[in-house]
Amino acid sequence: MGTNLYSGEKKTILYVLSLYLSSTLLLITTLFASYYFYEQDKLFHQEKDTLKKYAQELEDKLSLLNDENSDKYKYPRFENFKSAIYDIDKKLIFSTMDDKVDDFNDEYFTKDAHSFCISSISPYYFGAAYTVIQKETSKVFDPTKLIFLALITIIFTIITSFFLVNIVLKPLRDNIKLLDNFIKDTTHELNTPISTILANIETIDATNCDEKSLKKLQRIKIASLSISNLYQDLVYLLLNHKTSLQNEKLNVSEILHQRVIYFANMAQLKKLEFVLNIQENVFFTADRQKMERLIDNILSNAIKYTKKATKIKITLTSNMLCIEDEGKGMSAEEIKNIYERYRRFDKTQGGFGIGYSIIKSIINEYGINIEIESKIDKGTKVTLKW
Amino acid sequence: MVKFIFFLLIVFSNIYASNFDEKCLSCHQDSFQFNMMMKRYTLKYSSEEKIKEAIFNYLKNPTHETSILPLGFLNRFGIKDKSTLDDKTLKEMIDIYYDRYNLKSKLY
Repeated sequence: MGTNLYSGEKKTILYVLSLYLSSTLLLITTLFASYYFYEQDKLFHQEKDTLKKYAQELEDKLSLLNDENSDKYKYPRFENFKSAIYDIDKKLIFSTMDDKVDDFNDEYFTKDAHSFCISSISPYYFGAAYTVIQKETSKVFDPTKLIFLALITIIFTIITSFFLVNIVLKPLRDNIKLLDNFIKDTTHELNTPISTILANIETIDATNCDEKSLKKLQRIKIASLSISNLYQDLVYLLLNHKTSLQNEKLNVSEILHQRVIYFANMAQLKKLEFVLNIQENVFFTADRQKMERLIDNILSNAIKYTKKATKIKITLTSNMLCIEDEGKGMSAEEIKNIYERYRRFDKTQGGFGIGYSIIKSIINEYGINIEIESKIDKGTKVTLKW
Repeated sequence: MVKFIFFLLIVFSNIYASNFDEKCLSCHQDSFQFNMMMKRYTLKYSSEEKIKEAIFNYLKNPTHETSILPLGFLNRFGIKDKSTLDDKTLKEMIDIYYDRYNLKSKLY
């Protein structure tokens, strides 16, 4: 109930958040990646243009040199780049570079942090059919700044997403709160009438009643106890996530005796007999309310499902509590599904089917082992070990 | 005897050069023109192999189309006569011409 709503809300928030975040992150990544590739492409083209410009420079210089008439010609040298010229058969004519170019297929390529540009020229000054320009590759576009920017954007997105989720889920949350409060208030309102009924029954002077009225009175009392028990379960479930633990050293033997007395009337109605085998002064550290809920649930189940005029055996030792009934029993399949909330195998008996889910949550909390042995038409034996 | 061998050595070592001097330079005295020719051939044909091939083909069969002379010169002087040298000698002469005048070796 209450817990369910809260975990459901959390789940929804997580779903919405992850959906929003993943789509936003995808968008951001796409944007930044395309920007990065765009910049790289731009750089590549810039580099290419520069190399082309250099190649033109070299060609111009060669042309000027060709017009000179001399016995020796000084090959043009440049500060920004190195160059080489090859004849039409791709044989080297002259080079200021250290590397030799073998592949003339690529117009533009990079090798060992150097960019190369091969262009063909005509006419063939000094026999040069191809010019090769070599320059140091410009620094590749630095992505650290971009990554930093992306991180900031992502952080900003995450922060806004939390606000967004809060805004979107506010109506939902309000509704859940309303429903929660309603159930809580209703449950709370049950307390007073039940207490009043129980208190008043106790004060009725039994000696003044005839036998018939006394029997009716007894039935009223038992019915009220059942409601009270149910009320306790509801309170436990509703406040489950909020109850402050007050663990103390509990005398389990004492509590067990009290609970047996508490259920005595109910047992009497079915003509049940309790066979008690309780070791005195068994202590266990736990929250008193939770321990009572645990025992009550197992005990009330035993009373509810056992046959009329049978025995309920209750055994307590220093590390084990065993409650055994002679009821209709459960199949192995049923035992497997017993902890599911609202699971009820026998529709003839009243109840919400929340008993075992409460048992489960408590034993999990305290690390208690539970064993359920059941034979159909023979009875059920529930053993708690710690 | 020693004198004779020495004489032979000088003759043989100079035989190609003197052949070139005799077969080409006897008419084309001006090496400036030879330089210009090489420049024009290089501009048009680029590589050693192709230049030599073009010169050989032109000398074997000179035409207006294959001449690399500027049009003005061509109109004024016309194309030259076919070479009378045999193929082998002609090729040798072209090799010497290329070795002496090529632009590649003049770059520094």
